[in-house]
Order: sequence, then C-alpha cells, then structure tokens
Amino acid sequence: MAHLCLFSLLVLSLVLETQALTPTHHLTTTDVARLQAVLSQPFTDLKSAYYSVVGLSKLGIFVADADETCRFINSNLDPSSVESLFYAAEASQALSGCEIPVSNDTRDLLLATVSEDSTASQIHQSVSALSALGLPLASQEVVSALKARISKEDNVLAIILALQTASRLSQQAELGEILEEIEDLAARLDDLGGVYLQFEEGLEATALFVSAAYSLSDHVDMEPPLKEDQVIQLVNSIFSKKSWDSLSEAFSVASAAASLSNNRFHVPVIVSAQGPAAVSHSHPFLQLQVTDVLCQPLSSASVLVESASAVASKSAILNQAPFTLRDGVFELNFMASQPASGYYQFSVAITGDSRFVANHVELKVKVSTRVAINNMDLSVVDKDQSIGPKTTRVEYPTKAKASFMADSHQNFAMTFQLVDETTGVELTPHQTFVRLHNQKTGQEVVFVAEPDSKNLYKFELDTAERKTEFDSISGTYALYLMVGDATLENPILWNVADVVLKFLDEEAPGTIQAKTLYVPKPEIQHLFREPEKKPPTVVSNAFTALVLSPFLLLLILWFKLGANISNFTLSPSTILFHIGHAAMLGLMYVYWTHLNMFQTLKYLAIIGSLTFLAGNRMLAQKAVKRIAAEQSSRLAKYRSLR
Amino acid sequence: MSNSVISVISRFLEEYASSTPNKLKVIDAYLLYIMMTGALQFLYCLLVGTFPFNSFLSGFISCVGSFILAVCLRIQINPQNKGEFLSISPERAFADFLFAHTVLHLVVINFIG
Repeated sequence: MAHLCLFSLLVLSLVLETQALTPTHHLTTTDVARLQAVLSQPFTDLKSAYYSVVGLSKLGIFVADADETCRFINSNLDPSSVESLFYAAEASQALSGCEIPVSNDTRDLLLATVSEDSTASQIHQSVSALSALGLPLASQEVVSALKARISKEDNVLAIILALQTASRLSQQAELGEILEEIEDLAARLDDLGGVYLQFEEGLEATALFVSAAYSLSDHVDMEPPLKEDQVIQLVNSIFSKKSWDSLSEAFSVASAAASLSNNRFHVPVIVSAQGPAAVSHSHPFLQLQVTDVLCQPLSSASVLVESASAVASKSAILNQAPFTLRDGVFELNFMASQPASGYYQFSVAITGDSRFVANHVELKVKVSTRVAINNMDLSVVDKDQSIGPKTTRVEYPTKAKASFMADSHQNFAMTFQLVDETTGVELTPHQTFVRLHNQKTGQEVVFVAEPDSKNLYKFELDTAERKTEFDSISGTYALYLMVGDATLENPILWNVADVVLKFLDEEAPGTIQAKTLYVPKPEIQHLFREPEKKPPTVVSNAFTALVLSPFLLLLILWFKLGANISNFTLSPSTILFHIGHAAMLGLMYVYWTHLNMFQTLKYLAIIGSLTFLAGNRMLAQKAVKRIAAEQSSRLAKYRSLR
Repeated sequence: MSNSVISVISRFLEEYASSTPNKLKVIDAYLLYIMMTGALQFLYCLLVGTFPFNSFLSGFISCVGSFILAVCLRIQINPQNKGEFLSISPERAFADFLFAHTVLHLVVINFIG
C-alpha cells in the first residue's frame, strides 16, 4: 500500500514537472520602451488621448504637460455623448488636478444609460464615467442590467466589458454571477500547441480579458480560476507581438502587463541570464535577471539553485545554493565549486512571494576553460624498427627547429596530451585535427588525432599507406595541430613542425589538378526505349503464306477422303446454328480489331445462347436420325442372320 | 533392323487405311493440319525471333489447344470406345468440342494483341 502511494506520488511529481511551463515570450526593456513610445505619440482626438494618457499611467508614467492635456480633453469633450464622457472622465482621472465640469444633464444622461436596453459597451462607459467623476450610482441596477446584457450579447468582448464594469461597483453588490463569467470565458480560450492561449478574436481581446479578470478578482478579493499554466500561456500570447498595429492594441497590452505585474494573486516571473549563460575562470559569476512582465526587478524575490548537475555525467555539483543580489542582478559564483568544463543543467527556484507564477526555471549553463598542450613529442620511427626512434619535444607555441624526414620506410608519429590549464585535468575536445599543408602546391590533408584509454593523443602517419591522400606528391609539408571545442576559450592552431615526405616519384601525377567537386556534371541524355527490331516484311509475308498453306492440304485431304455435306438438312435450326456459329467467329475477328473483353462477352452471350439453342435442336434431330439408322441396320442384320 | 521398322510402318499404314472409319480419318486429317500449322509457327519463332512474343504464344497455344480438343472429340466419337462413354453421345461430344473451342478462341484473341 505504501509502495503504491509512493509510486503514484512519484509519477504525479514527474507529470507535474514535465507540465510546468515557463514563459517563452516576454517583453524586454527595449520592448517596454517601444510600448511607451507608441503610447506617447501626440494625440489627435479624445479617444487617442484616452488611450495614451491611461495607457501610460498603467505603465507608471505620467504625461509631461498635464495642463495642456487637460485643456485638450476639455475642449474636445462632447457632453451629449456617453463615449466622449467616458474617455474624458478616465483620462482626467489619470491626470492629476484635472477636473471635468459635470452638469445635472450629464449625470442624468449617464444614469439613464444604465439599463437593459443599452449595449454592454455603453453600460461600461457610463459606469466608468460615473465612478471616475465621483458620481453616485446604484450598483444593484447595474448588476441586473449587466446580467441581462450578458445573456443577450454572448460575444467575448461584451463579457469582458461586463467584467471591467463590475470591478467599478461597490463590493456589497452581488457580483457572484458575473465573477463566474471569468471561468466561462477562460474555457473559450484556444490552446495553441500548449504554448499559447488566446481568443480567436485576437490579441486585444485576450489582453483586455486578462486585465478585466484580474481587476475584478482584486476588487472582490477572490482568486481567479486560472491555473498557473494558463497564466503562462496567456503571457506568451500577449507578449509575443513586439510591435502593435494600433493605439488600442498597445493600450490593451499595457493594461494586461500592468495587471499581471501588480495583482493580488498571480505574478508571472521572467528569468533571463544576463548575456550568455556561460562561466569561466575569467567570468566566474552566473548572472540572472529576475523581473516581472514589465521588466521591473522583483524586490521581494530570493533566488536559489535547487540542483545543478553535469549534463554528460549526471553527477550533482550544487544543491540548494542561493544567489546574491547585487545591483538588481542575481549572481552566483559557480566557479567556486570548481566544476569541470562542459554543460550543466541548473534548476532554479524563485521564492519570496506566494503570488509568483512560473518560479521554477531550467537553465543550461556552459563552463568554459582554457586548454594547454603538454608533452608534444614528435618522432620518426623506422618500420622495421632497426633504428631507434628519435623523439623531439616541442613546446607550444614554438615550432620545431629541424624538419622531419619520412619516406616509405618510416612512420612519422606524434603524441601529446591536452589538459585544462588551471586544474590539470585531461580534456578530450571535440576537434583535434592534424593538418598537413604543402606550401608549394597548396595541397592540404587533414587527419584526426585520437586519444587512447589514458587520454593520451596519438597520431601516426604511414607514408606508404597514405600516399593516395597526398596524391604521391613529395615535398615539404607544414604540420599544424588544430584543437577546438564549444567549451574551450582558446582554440589552438599551432604550426608544430615541417615534415618532408618522400613518395616514389613515378607515382606522382604530372600536373596537380584542383579537386573539382562543384562543377557542372556531364549532361545525361535521356534514351528513349528503342522499338524492337522487326524482321523485314518479305520474311513475315513469306512465313504468313507458309503458315496458311496447311489449310490447302487439309482441303485436299478431305476431298480425297470423300468428306461432303450431303447430309445437310435445310431445317431452320440448322441454318440458325450455322449462322450463329459464323457470327461467333466474326465476333472474334471484331474483338481482335475493335472491341474489349466486356463488350465481346456481352455479344458472345447473346449470339452464343442463340447458337446453343439452335445447335441443341439440330444435334438432337441428328441423334434421332442416327439412332433410327442404327436400329434399322441392326434389324436388317438380325433378319439376315435368321 | 531397318527392315523390320519399315515392315511395321507399312503394316500400320495398311491397317489404318482399311479399318479406320471415314469419320475418324476426317478428324485425323484435321489433326495433321493443326500440327503442321503449329510446327510452322514454331519454326518461324526459331528462325526469325520472338518479337511479338505474345502473338507467338497465342498462335501456338491455339494450335496446341485445338489439337487437344480434336483428339478428345476423336476419342469420344470412336465407336470402339463406346463402352467408356455411355453417357456421352457423339452429338454431345461435338457440342462440347464447339463450346470448348469458343472459350479457347476467346482467350487466344485476347492474347494475340
């Protein structure tokens, strides 16, 4: 029983782990600046003034000249239009010290708009204007009007406006039913690939939904029914677009960002490494930026590495190590744990506030190092090993003074070790090449040096065996060692020595041709199928005549045997039978020239059945005649015997 | 040795000429014709080549098939075999012969191309 519980817990934790999303799209500081720039454009009318002023206030920025804007709003206000009043009221509330004169008529107009007959948008505008202007309103009336409108207009935007309106009403009103609309709307979101969650109406609707849902939830102090993964998917959808088509779109993104960075329930956390996530001895600190969706640093966060393990060996290096906050950036001295070079998988947790969402992040960190070459030994070994090898040691980055001679009786050998400069640990980088370059002809041959079990690199050049790679061209070759890897900070290209190779001269080609790999190939001519060779017409005609000649022979033989048609009775069945039979033979010919099998079978069925019936009758008559003749002959024989 | 072969053959021919009914001789002449036609087709194929192979096959099979059907007819019509074919009258044998030929010719014409 305990085992079952444990197993199910393990499975559940694995499942949860794989489902934990982190935002793939978020606004960077340049994006936020661009958003501010869009919203700061000079406004042309009251609507754009509303978007600019209120949008910027959501981002925490206040308009430069508030008085100028206030005058603009007042001069463009149309007191007889609810929409105009809404824009003016909201904008003036965002500006400090801006007053809109309100008359009794204005107030009555706004109050009268709150009814079941106005659209949800009109109710939203009038309620917002009333609350922004500080005028009293009857919350319960609004609630009933909203409920009626929601059931009549079932579209997404109307319900979002209803949510937004409800967040302006008093907390004593019965907002329960409207609160349930959040869940219904969340069910209408489209899940795209598990990464994005958005309305089919578009980005603006999704962003407005987020800001309305959170403002209503904050107002009634009840957590919105959105799961953490859904919140992250909404973040991905809203912040994937980095340039906005219209002022209203930019406004909706700004209000969504403001509500996601500052609400009572869910605050998505954005974690990004500053620069590449790589550490080395010269840069030992891993630096992370931990912000909210508006790129503002989170003051109450504390960042912790839950576990860090090497990708290759899966051995854990760190466990529960905290990051320190310095100048708004969280850093950790990873090199202090003396990790070997390679890639490490970090699992980072951000704690400090219960509202944080997506606060477990997986990071891949690279540890780079510098490589040093030790014990580079070059030698020329005789194949029959009669003469002992002469080993020359070369130090990086100098070049060997004497050049090495190798002909077909000798092998040229090279051994070396690659170690980490600081720790002395042996390394096996991805690329260890030995390049031989003939300076006169420009030829270049590259070989791979392989490490043995003790991580000692060996390279052997057997002159006789490798002559095809060199095209048997003798001469002086410059020997280079190339070492490279993603985790090496100092890739090496080292001219180690000069090697003089001698091949048997008669095998060398006269001229050296550059390898032509990428020239046009010879064109392939399509060979159409040649018709079969037919014999000359004379031969075929001769043989046709020859094959038909036995028929004459047959006729002659039959004549000689005395075959005749004297028994031919002219009864209708006989005639019909013969006609039918001739027709069948004619049908065969027509089949050969014109028809297909199905048509032939059809005609054959008709003609055949007629022929069969006629033939049956004819043969029956013949049978009767034959039996009668036999009987009479038997009778005659019997009589003669008596 | 050759003397006895010649005497056997001449004896056989005599017996054949005298004791075989005329009807069977007619069928035998037909058989000879079919065989010669088939042989000549085969000779053409050997000499000139199998170019329209399907045509050669269909012609040759037609000869072979006709030969076989005619042999069957001859066996069934032969009065000496009456004991073995009590239920099949000569007319019935001839009707079967015609029907089988229809099917054979259908196939041959289909294949001749």
